[in-house]
Amino acid sequence: MTIEFLSANHAAAMAATLAGRANSGARGFGGGIYPITPQSECIELLCRQEIENGSLVRVESEHSAMAVCIGFALSGARTFTASSSNGLAYMTENVFAAAFYRLPVVMMAVNRTLGPPWNIWVDHGDTLLLRDSGWMQFYCEDNQEVLDSILFSYRLAEDPRILIPSLVCQDAFVLSHTMMQTDVPELEDVKRFLPELDLPHRVVHKAVTVGGLDFPHETEVHRQHHAEAMARVPEVYRECQDAFEEVFGRRPQDVVVPYRADDADLLVVSLGTTASTTKTAVDAARERGIKVGALRVRMLRPFPEQELRQAFAGRSRIAILDRDISVGHGGILWSEARGTVSDQTLLQNYILGLGGGDIRPEHIEGIIDDLAAREEVEEPRILEVG
Amino acid sequence: MSDSLEIRLHGRGGQGGVTCAKILAACYAQMGKYVQTFGDYAGERSGAPVAAFTRVDDKPITNRNKVYNPDHLLVLDPSLLGATVLQGLAPGAPLLLNTTEELEAFDATLGAFQLATIDATSIARKHGIGTRSVVIVNTTIAGAFARTHDIPLEVLEKTYEGLGFQSNFPAAREAYEVVRERPPIVVAGDADQDGREQEAVRVGGRVPVDPLAEHLESPPTGLETGSWSSQRPAYVEQLAPCNAWCPAGNDVVRFVQAVHTSGEAAAAEILGYSTPLAAVCGRVCPAPCMEGCNRREYDGSVHIRGLERKIAEHTPVAVRQAGSSANPHRIAVVGGGPAGIAAAYALAMEGHRATIYDGEESLGGVLRTGIPVYRLPREVLDREISDVLALGVEARLGEFLDGDRVAALAEEYDGVVLATGLQWLRGLKVPGADLEGLEQGIQFLHRFNSEGCEGTPLSGHVVVLGGGNTAMDCARSALRAGASRVTVAYRRRREEMPAIREEIDEAVEEGVVLLLQRQPVAFHGEGKVAGIELAEVVMGEPDDTGRRSPVVTDVTSRLDCDAVLLALGQGADLDFLPEGWKLEGSTVTANGKPLPVVAAGDLATGDGTVTHAIGSGRRAAGLVLQALGEEVEVFERPDRTRAVPATAIRLDHWPRVPVTREGHAPAETRVGNLDEVNHGLVNGAEAARCFSCGHCTKCDTCLVYCPEGIITRATSGFYRVDSAYCKGCGVCVEECPRRAMEMHSL
Repeated sequence: MTIEFLSANHAAAMAATLAGRANSGARGFGGGIYPITPQSECIELLCRQEIENGSLVRVESEHSAMAVCIGFALSGARTFTASSSNGLAYMTENVFAAAFYRLPVVMMAVNRTLGPPWNIWVDHGDTLLLRDSGWMQFYCEDNQEVLDSILFSYRLAEDPRILIPSLVCQDAFVLSHTMMQTDVPELEDVKRFLPELDLPHRVVHKAVTVGGLDFPHETEVHRQHHAEAMARVPEVYRECQDAFEEVFGRRPQDVVVPYRADDADLLVVSLGTTASTTKTAVDAARERGIKVGALRVRMLRPFPEQELRQAFAGRSRIAILDRDISVGHGGILWSEARGTVSDQTLLQNYILGLGGGDIRPEHIEGIIDDLAAREEVEEPRILEVG
Repeated sequence: MSDSLEIRLHGRGGQGGVTCAKILAACYAQMGKYVQTFGDYAGERSGAPVAAFTRVDDKPITNRNKVYNPDHLLVLDPSLLGATVLQGLAPGAPLLLNTTEELEAFDATLGAFQLATIDATSIARKHGIGTRSVVIVNTTIAGAFARTHDIPLEVLEKTYEGLGFQSNFPAAREAYEVVRERPPIVVAGDADQDGREQEAVRVGGRVPVDPLAEHLESPPTGLETGSWSSQRPAYVEQLAPCNAWCPAGNDVVRFVQAVHTSGEAAAAEILGYSTPLAAVCGRVCPAPCMEGCNRREYDGSVHIRGLERKIAEHTPVAVRQAGSSANPHRIAVVGGGPAGIAAAYALAMEGHRATIYDGEESLGGVLRTGIPVYRLPREVLDREISDVLALGVEARLGEFLDGDRVAALAEEYDGVVLATGLQWLRGLKVPGADLEGLEQGIQFLHRFNSEGCEGTPLSGHVVVLGGGNTAMDCARSALRAGASRVTVAYRRRREEMPAIREEIDEAVEEGVVLLLQRQPVAFHGEGKVAGIELAEVVMGEPDDTGRRSPVVTDVTSRLDCDAVLLALGQGADLDFLPEGWKLEGSTVTANGKPLPVVAAGDLATGDGTVTHAIGSGRRAAGLVLQALGEEVEVFERPDRTRAVPATAIRLDHWPRVPVTREGHAPAETRVGNLDEVNHGLVNGAEAARCFSCGHCTKCDTCLVYCPEGIITRATSGFYRVDSAYCKGCGVCVEECPRRAMEMHSL
């Protein structure tokens, strides 16, 4: 392993490169790629890598990028692509297709606000648009996690019990373009962690139609299988954690990640880098005597219902921070998680950092104070941090 | 160093600020610290203020927000200094500034801070980092930072190696050595030395949770981004290559565009300012403009000659009215060829009286005597000459002038233009050159043109020696005069023949045979020529002009023939110059004293084309008036190197469209008569192919491509760039299809 000084975009490219090389002896590596700010750095670096038995197709749109991944994956290759924001929106039809074909595609998404009006900065509306696409979804908080989650995703997605594509999300600029020391594993170790892909339903020797007409009963069965595979993820996830730790010497975090939460009355829950910045605010509030902790939701699909129910049990107050909004309802993480919170707990939704507003520890401390002093729950509120 | 350090950097897009922040982080990473670095990304472009941040800590860094209370500030461009840049910087905190000024210059303005200054721009420029106009200072100023923060030089060097910046290290080392630093001059009373009194505020600060209030209305977009720019686009008119290449000085790009936008009559008016012989040039000009045309390599030059001929069908009445002068001069013009006619025209247009003297019975010179009527019908020539005479130009014909007469004219008139052309004809000094049946081509053409086919009967095999237009005219005229077979022997290759390409094509179509790379070494025959001894020629090394010089070999062959026409070139015959006169270029002196006498046309330039003659005549008219004390503009040939090059044209804005061809009489019907062969273009549609190099056509490309949408059509009809919002990105200039815009530094 070597410590390199990388942006998270480059960390993702290195992970994809290693995963691709690790499958060179089998059906190879491929993907369709199309650039978009703030993801371009990733695919630019990836295109400069030499990957034996690997091929990246520079296509004319995100829709085709995923189509190419589907083609590669159906032939048994390991696949990767990356996109962002409106690129994901345009790709959406084939994103669903990859999942319904049960192909272990891995995609890195840099979270960027959907336009118009155009905005290149982070919020989570783009990948949450794909919440129901049948993919697994992971949200990262730092550079190392981006690299690790991509390697981890291949093992998880390619497990014959799963065969579901995986989306690894990272926040635009504050993570994608931010450079930090990153541990880049050796290829030999990656090969030990990632067995060569042997897709059971790959298309061989003859031409077939995939995705033809599904009658109602067949669709019911296909969805049932898909849901059962999704339900197996937590168990396989833990196996992958063990395997990862054995090979690389560090353990990927659980699907929900607590911070100083053991004895906390108050809990601040969020996705991605918001949770990282929250730590400073928690530390400062603790110094002022507030028993607050934080919880990061690392995996959004499958939804970690049991883990959240346990984590939320017994808390007096919970703030769910959303960097997204389902207009007409509220924060999406809040709307997902509220069902796991008991009636005895005061749950307030705060929406902040939309369109890349710079979330500072001071803002989160303000939220902690507001939560601590709050007498009743209000409608989800959009805060101004920009 | 303390446990944690937050650095903020301010620069302008293009200076490398984000990379600088990365270098600092990499240095601390070398020293075993946890680091984090990122830029404040936005839609900025070159020159816009940008910020970048670096965090350093002994423990893993979790904060992902920007740096608001920097422990250290770097400013890469002193023009950025102001409240925004200094925001959050505590009194006493270190500030590193790239400036050409001395450290002491900031005692008053930045006294509160621990200031260090470095002229990183000069150092980086000296070390050649970046370009001459855009110096990249990041790698240099990082050296100064290292010094002020006790980062060892070895760490810096290793960091540069790791990042691949070794070649920039000498600049960093120089900055490391010369950076100057001083403590704060005014320290706030209760602030401790390193400005860390802000710590409590930074960590303990809380922002109250208020819902959106301030911007319940649509947020204002009042950011006047024009202040970011260091350059701005401007609409300019640049020299089009056709104009640069036209020896006559025609405003080619404008008359071609006029055909396209305003019609042929408007184009004729433009053409009339520079030439009285548009109909002639539209037929016989070698068209250097088309050689220079930026469309040439793309899909073929715009057919400018064809357009000129089309335009010349319209007499530009509005222009062709003699000018008036308060002090009209009388000028004698010796020689009635194109140079003399152009000089007389230019003089008349300025309101002076010109009298043309010519030995022939009509004006036109070589246009009449040398160019066959099937290329230039005489009614076309006569019409243009009569238009010139209609301006009040006088013609005295039928007398060849000797030195005494020329000297007398210089006395009689205020000034003289000498445009006698090339009267000396190149011959061949080889055995048999005196045989009967050999004739100078010019003399043959003169007879042919004055007496027609009947006056110059030829028969059998005629060989023409030469490769210019005279040779082609001889060959084609010989066919019409009765020759059963015509061969042109030329010593170079076809592509090196000076004749107009189309005329070579037309000659070949009519049956003329080209015998290339042949040099006559002897003529055979008993009294009358019966054959030529031709030596084979190989092409030698290219000379300075790139033209390969022919090398005659010993390999010869005999070609039987019945007549030979020599078209080997002409020279000036200076016998007519009066005693004591001397000609150098266009200047004429008498016994060393300058005279108001100017040479024009082939006599002055020896170039041999109508278009050169016209330009030269125009210039001579100006020079003679200048010699007479008139304040006139003397025509100068433009500098071709200043012309808009093809590389400046955005070719992808144009579909490929083939050149419009002129109509021609079928080859098989041409030889038996003297009818004009070329029927010209059917209409002026060809003008639409013109790129209009360097001349705005209001095509709206700039307006469409401006990413800020701040180019509009002003009420004047021209474009307006809203400087309040122009960031100086240069997209409009890059996209301008014709380079009618350029960027100017502010």
